[in-house]
Amino acid sequence: MDILLQLLMSGIALGMIYAVIAFGYQSTFATSGTLNFGQGEALMLGAMVGLSFSGDILGGPYLNYWLMVPLVLLFGALQGAVVEFVGVRPAIKTKSEFGWIMSTIALGIIFRNTAENLWGRDDLPFPSPLPTEPIHIFGANVLPMELMVVVGAVLMMVLVELFNRRSIYGKAVVATSSDRDAAGLMGINTGLVITFSYALSSMSAAFAGVLIAPITLTGASMGAVLGLKAFAVAIIGGLTSGLGVIVGGILLGVAETTTGFYISTGYKDVPGLVLLLLVLAIKPSGLFGKTTIKKV
Amino acid sequence: MLEVNHLKAAYGQVQVLHGIELKVPKGQVVTLIGSNGAGKTTTMRAISGMLKPTGGSILLGGKSIAGLPAHRIARIGLAHSPEGRRVFPTQTVRDNLLLGAFTRLTFGGRPRGDIRGDLDRALDLFPRLRERQFQLAGTLSGGEQQMLAMARALMLNPDVLLLDEPSMGLAPILVEEVFHIIERLKEQGMTMLLVEQFAAAALAVADYGYVLENGRIAVHGPAEQLRNDPKVRAAYLGIAH
Repeated sequence: MDILLQLLMSGIALGMIYAVIAFGYQSTFATSGTLNFGQGEALMLGAMVGLSFSGDILGGPYLNYWLMVPLVLLFGALQGAVVEFVGVRPAIKTKSEFGWIMSTIALGIIFRNTAENLWGRDDLPFPSPLPTEPIHIFGANVLPMELMVVVGAVLMMVLVELFNRRSIYGKAVVATSSDRDAAGLMGINTGLVITFSYALSSMSAAFAGVLIAPITLTGASMGAVLGLKAFAVAIIGGLTSGLGVIVGGILLGVAETTTGFYISTGYKDVPGLVLLLLVLAIKPSGLFGKTTIKKV
Repeated sequence: MLEVNHLKAAYGQVQVLHGIELKVPKGQVVTLIGSNGAGKTTTMRAISGMLKPTGGSILLGGKSIAGLPAHRIARIGLAHSPEGRRVFPTQTVRDNLLLGAFTRLTFGGRPRGDIRGDLDRALDLFPRLRERQFQLAGTLSGGEQQMLAMARALMLNPDVLLLDEPSMGLAPILVEEVFHIIERLKEQGMTMLLVEQFAAAALAVADYGYVLENGRIAVHGPAEQLRNDPKVRAAYLGIAH
């Protein structure tokens, strides 16, 4: 029983990381119908930039973890804006249906290679800002950093939701998501809203990067698998549902930790991907997604 | 206030407008009538920037707006209540109205003015919307959505208001209400360009009219004169001569 609880807790923490990255996929999909397939690399860059400030790899630490986080968020936002400007905007302008897929993947590879050259290919430890002694909750051992992951992820999503509902700029983002042409008639610069959604998307990935880095290792290749699994979460939960990515993330996270323990770590990725295939076969819009009919 | 010269527009390779000329003087209501496919909606879309014109000039209050993106044209002072209403269905009626005032609520936009007062006046003009202020716009009936689209356009405090088929798909009693509201806006001095399928009603409220045929202006003149023009009567007003 205790073991199961332990696996659940770890699964939830991992799942919330997936949820934060998947949330980023949703944000760009809502405003522009496009996705940043370099989300995993945005996460990795966030973690590496964070490590450069707060780790000892470049002669640091220069800043403590809490002061580093805002800088990483800012970096993530800028990185996302660059991806939109270089990779996505031209594809939207020419009404290319698929150009953005290749260009965001290409940018992701470029970012990964750059990171390998800047920081090397080895995985590096990331100093934890919280005690590394586990705390006991209902008999399970939980790392303080794992709690921090859950709190940080929920906090970020709540803040974005408040922004969307309360501020006129957030309302403009929602309006752009539901009808881009009509939003333009309101005087909303929808191109800028799309850039903003890319900034938000990479910012959330970078945030996920500095949340997870102290639990795992940091390295140029850390993002690829996380980005792909978060994409699976976005599909499982539904690309349009905020609740969907949280539930989908936790489902996948728990499926991985339990399979890893009860069956074999070699198979830990299988149940989540089977779930993905099932969802695609039975409810392609995702567990919580609304079915949309593409008008031609 | 609004002056359109040699306006040309196309969807892909298909030329739809072949040089439209029209003028909307300040404080007047001008209507654009014509059969389906004549290019009425395309003219409106080309003016407001929803569609990039392929040629010609458009002056709004003396400023050239042809080819600008829609959001910049809105900031210069043109509001467009588009065909098909296009309200934001997942947001409340009130939020839709506030989005109409987006250019006034944000940095570098139109003069702020009395937004709260204008919101109140819009809700006075459309009492049904006041009752439904906090409802999601997607849950409104077609008629209510039309009212919302018009109220939302008014919230821009525009110099020129484009109304595209405000009566489309509405029950006869609501059509009457929509025209009543257009009449009231006219009394308040609003400059309007109105596209309507009910040509008779449109010519009754308008000062001046243009008849569009195959992407060209076929006839134009004071509304009174068009109402009595035998050809217009036969083709668009359903009255034999």
